[in-house]
Amino acid sequence: MVKSETNPNISLQHESAISHVTGQSAYINDMPVNDQMLVGKVVYSKFAHAAIKSFNLDKARNFPGVRAVLSVHNIPGANQMGPVIHDEPCLADKVVNFAGQAIFLIAAIDEETARHAENLIETEFEPLEPILDIETAILKNSKIGDEKRIETGDVDKNLQSSMFQISGTLRTGAQEHWYLETQSCVCIPGEGSEMMVYSSTQHPSETQAIVAEVLDIPRNEVTVEVKRMGGAFGGKETQGNHVAAWAALLADATNCPVKIHLFRDDDQIMTGKRHRFISHYRAGFDADGKILALDVELNADAGAATDLSLAILERALFHIDNAYFVPNLRVTGQAWKTNLPSNTAFRGFGGPQGIAVIETVIDRIARQLKLDPARLRQLNFYQTRQNNITHYGEEVENNRLPMIFDKIISNSGYFRLREEVEAFNQKNEFYKKGLALTPVKFGISFTTSFLNQAGALINIFRDGSVVVNHGGTEMGQGLHTKILEIASKELGISHNQIKVTATNTSKVPNTSATAASSGSDLNGMAVKTGIEKIKNRLLTLAAELLSENHGGENSSPENISFKDNLVFDSKNPDRTISFRDLISNAYFRQISLSATGFYKTPDIHFDKIKGRGRPFHYFAFGMSVSEVLVDTLTGYHKILKTFIVHDAGDSLSEKIDIGQIEGGFIQGVGWCTSEDIKWNEKGQLLNHSPDTYKIPGVRDIPLEFHVELLKDAPNHSTIRGSKAVGEPPFMHGFSVWLAIKDAISSIGNNRFEPDFQIPATNEVILKSIENIRKKIKS
Amino acid sequence: MAPSKSGIAFILDNKITEIDFSANDSFKPTTTVLNYLRSLPGHKGVKEGCAEGDCGACTIVVAELDGRGGLAYKSLDSCLVFLPAIHGKQLITVENLAIKKGKEIKLHPVQESMVKKDGSQCGYCTPGVVMSLFALYKTHQNPSREIIEDSLTGNLCRCTGYRPIIDAATEACGLDGRDHFSENEEEIFSTLQNISEDKTSIEIYNPEQIFLKPFTIAEAIRLRKEHPDSLIVNGSTDVALLQTKKKILLPKILDLSAVDELKLIVEDHSKIAVGAGTSMEELLQFCETRLPALATILKVFGSLQIRNVATLGGNIASASPIGDTLPLLLVLDTKVRLLAPGRQRELLLSDFITGYRKTSIEADEILALIIISKPLKNEIIRTYKISKRKDLDISSVSACFRLKSDKNNNVAQIKIIFGGMAATALHATKTEDFLLGQSWSRETVEKAMEILYHEFSPISDARADEESRRIMAKNLLMKFWIETQESKNHSV
Repeated sequence: MVKSETNPNISLQHESAISHVTGQSAYINDMPVNDQMLVGKVVYSKFAHAAIKSFNLDKARNFPGVRAVLSVHNIPGANQMGPVIHDEPCLADKVVNFAGQAIFLIAAIDEETARHAENLIETEFEPLEPILDIETAILKNSKIGDEKRIETGDVDKNLQSSMFQISGTLRTGAQEHWYLETQSCVCIPGEGSEMMVYSSTQHPSETQAIVAEVLDIPRNEVTVEVKRMGGAFGGKETQGNHVAAWAALLADATNCPVKIHLFRDDDQIMTGKRHRFISHYRAGFDADGKILALDVELNADAGAATDLSLAILERALFHIDNAYFVPNLRVTGQAWKTNLPSNTAFRGFGGPQGIAVIETVIDRIARQLKLDPARLRQLNFYQTRQNNITHYGEEVENNRLPMIFDKIISNSGYFRLREEVEAFNQKNEFYKKGLALTPVKFGISFTTSFLNQAGALINIFRDGSVVVNHGGTEMGQGLHTKILEIASKELGISHNQIKVTATNTSKVPNTSATAASSGSDLNGMAVKTGIEKIKNRLLTLAAELLSENHGGENSSPENISFKDNLVFDSKNPDRTISFRDLISNAYFRQISLSATGFYKTPDIHFDKIKGRGRPFHYFAFGMSVSEVLVDTLTGYHKILKTFIVHDAGDSLSEKIDIGQIEGGFIQGVGWCTSEDIKWNEKGQLLNHSPDTYKIPGVRDIPLEFHVELLKDAPNHSTIRGSKAVGEPPFMHGFSVWLAIKDAISSIGNNRFEPDFQIPATNEVILKSIENIRKKIKS
Repeated sequence: MAPSKSGIAFILDNKITEIDFSANDSFKPTTTVLNYLRSLPGHKGVKEGCAEGDCGACTIVVAELDGRGGLAYKSLDSCLVFLPAIHGKQLITVENLAIKKGKEIKLHPVQESMVKKDGSQCGYCTPGVVMSLFALYKTHQNPSREIIEDSLTGNLCRCTGYRPIIDAATEACGLDGRDHFSENEEEIFSTLQNISEDKTSIEIYNPEQIFLKPFTIAEAIRLRKEHPDSLIVNGSTDVALLQTKKKILLPKILDLSAVDELKLIVEDHSKIAVGAGTSMEELLQFCETRLPALATILKVFGSLQIRNVATLGGNIASASPIGDTLPLLLVLDTKVRLLAPGRQRELLLSDFITGYRKTSIEADEILALIIISKPLKNEIIRTYKISKRKDLDISSVSACFRLKSDKNNNVAQIKIIFGGMAATALHATKTEDFLLGQSWSRETVEKAMEILYHEFSPISDARADEESRRIMAKNLLMKFWIETQESKNHSV
């Protein structure tokens, strides 16, 4: 009898875990360097907005050890590296549009030489007036793209007729990705125009396209390979292209390998961040707190170029409802052009900015009506049979909100905690506790429908070992581990027989970015289809081999199963052949042991003009409850407890998914609390290193931290019933954000609405408290 | 001329490594340990994440003679440490932890636990995390969560959310602390002792750079006199930034970190004298029970990696307006002792620091001793620090309060010093004047808060804006008042 070799309850550890902990895992900057490798340096603007009147590169070019100094005039192809809209110059041409914009490139024998050369470049600038915030951009009508709008019901009428109305403005801040590995690339020129690009990019195919464009060569001359990234979080979806384009230009110009590995401060200064938003809202609701109408205007700070801003804005519009049914809803959005680095993808991709608005609305309604905010949320949740159509017309199928709500209320003992918090606050004047429950419903799929495709290449070698290659990239999220798990289960062989190799554009072409949480959904399916192709080729042979030496009926191809490194007849389980022997036989029978796999997400579409459609294949759900303690004199807070229940469908790997949930939550907490970005009046970034930019540290996590995956809720029509898990948990950070607000609110016995924003730094907390204390006095 | 040598010796990969800087053009004496290791073929595990000691991706461990016949294992940020700092020590990197036998790899217990508990995701911070855990493993058995967190405060991870790393630490450090390093300790000890017996100063005179590293105070004074323009460093956690961040080549350095005579803490009934070369971590251990107000501040001073090398002398002599220890030391009328050839003098710290990063040190003097007067029994002293992130952050505002009240609960004496509110740490004199003689009541304190709010004109910068700093300052006075009432509140 065939027995399962692995305990299904123990999931696989990260496939690189051992190399990680022994220091063997290699990143771009760790690649062996030969003595021809040059160091690439990017010379960038200190001005947020200025005309380049003139420049002289002669002294820099003549400095010993300098191999190339390039300006916009030395680009063989297009001076462009925008991913969608071609509005992003590779090197500044006549004008610089943000502090941190690349103007010149230097290749030199070492860093010190490159730095000397930079000081020898003479450039004359004429400073121009910069636009440094959304308000100014609105005043000057400095737009990127057209207004986006999604509308359902009659918003104006229902706003007016609602018993209660509130209106307000919410500011949500920028966020630096702070991947541990800064942007890096090594380019190695080959024969003719060939260019080998080792890049830290989430989007190898686009990196390939941009390198080909700036060098004016066809894409088949460019190979991009990604072994792993030291973190990305969206920050390497397009921004990795830039460093690759620059390194490729220098490699092309010098005919030598060139490495660019950005210094931390340069990385923070040069690259885009999460979009700042200013959002205005009006909501109408009844005496029970049911939202009847919502009108929201979203304004996004796109920075100096389009990049992915329009898709990010669109996702903010899609997520303005979060988990709530709002019968009459209008949301408009505009991206504004400012003189800051072009803002870009960051975990959640506009979703968090949209969700923060409706969570603020609900929070305010609860305070105004003196209702428990968790109960109010429950009242407004999408339902299962009715009130389950979103503002863009997609039905919320397989709604997990009710079951998650019950689960988290009981896990956290929410109502008991509520009583404890209130009792504590009655007794304490200067320390206040706060509590909040927040949900997330997150749409899974690229909202640009055609991007929902993926490819894979499966090669089986004569010894039975397997190489799996796919279009997704590994940035720590455990995609390769999940793919390994999928391939192992589909092929019925041990993990150690399979290797998931570096992502490479010559193996799987025309891939989409590893983004939108879609990595395992899309690539997992592609791998599965590739494996199925090979297995189908093997069935007849297997049946034939299994029938040999056995009396009775012949084995039939449709009964062949693959499991535990064996191939067997499920009708006659004692008839087995090892996987390895089957493969060896297949080779001699001239059966192809290589196949490509391809997958596209079915049934998704969206009409951008009408604002209607089914942009998402499905929704991922989750909820969190956090309790915090705020020191009202210092503004410090401590997360006492966090409970999370999250829906990952039938998890592909529980260990990996829990890691994504916890890490995403903490990153969300960072955005909501300590990660503060300021620019000076010249548009120069002030927080350009971890000295002043504070991501959460080990002491910022909850004292008690309980994370649970929702059980017995398999997804439909996805790989092994699983759900995407990369981005949705980021939103759990809102429970901490609103718990802090709850604590502040208790100072005035919830009579006053606290001033609040993202991030709620201790500065924001102290000022908010100060205001409430003034209101109490007056 | 006194005898000197131009090279250093340390243990790496179980072998003595010698670098002679006068004969070597690959490494400068100010090459950081990080850059040195990364230039070697087998030590690319150590990573640069920020080049300023804030992320810990470059964490390594040194084993050094502990002065008590054994070895002390200390984590430090290799991006902030110049090569000569590891002279006479064993340098341990992530590559040294596992044992390889053919194709078999036997992981170190801390690595084993990191794998088991899913402590890595992207893996870039992992070598640094592993080294912090290794140092913890070698120094603590069954550490509390507080100790675990303290040893990881200097390691940023953007992927995991830290919980699995804490779990890994808990599991690994629940073991007996033995490993393959324990087996070699005697040999390492005697090798290090051999290296350290030679007290000849290291003096490197290269065309671009002079680097001096004495081992005795006498030599330190001699070299200071001969090179009065040299920059004195100890742990180099502040000075190194000039090179790693501002890319300035430091032309002349006098490194006092190996002068053992500067590492001491002695106390009598009224004073605590701290050698300028005493590390913040040693000082913290000492202060926990003997001077809690200083321990309060040291607990949130940098990270363990920083505290292991940063010194009290450095924190004072750098005269930074946000030097965390200054408000307390000033409030305690701390004196400093300066040594020069054939003379010495003592002066008040308030006279020693003359302005923004300026002191009154003479060109031939070295800061030797910091003499702290102990608070009296009837005084209450508290220190506070507010920063954006509580740990491993530079203060937006720091403060120290010293109160003596009379039997009628009136203020008999009050000293209030703030850091972060002006170019140097300053007394809140108007507030002090107001409070003096008043009843130490909430009503008085609330009035004083208004005065304090307007007393300073702080700047707005990346850490906090002017308004927030004013609010923080006045709130800290209230916080102090509450603590003097011994209210039993939770601390955040």
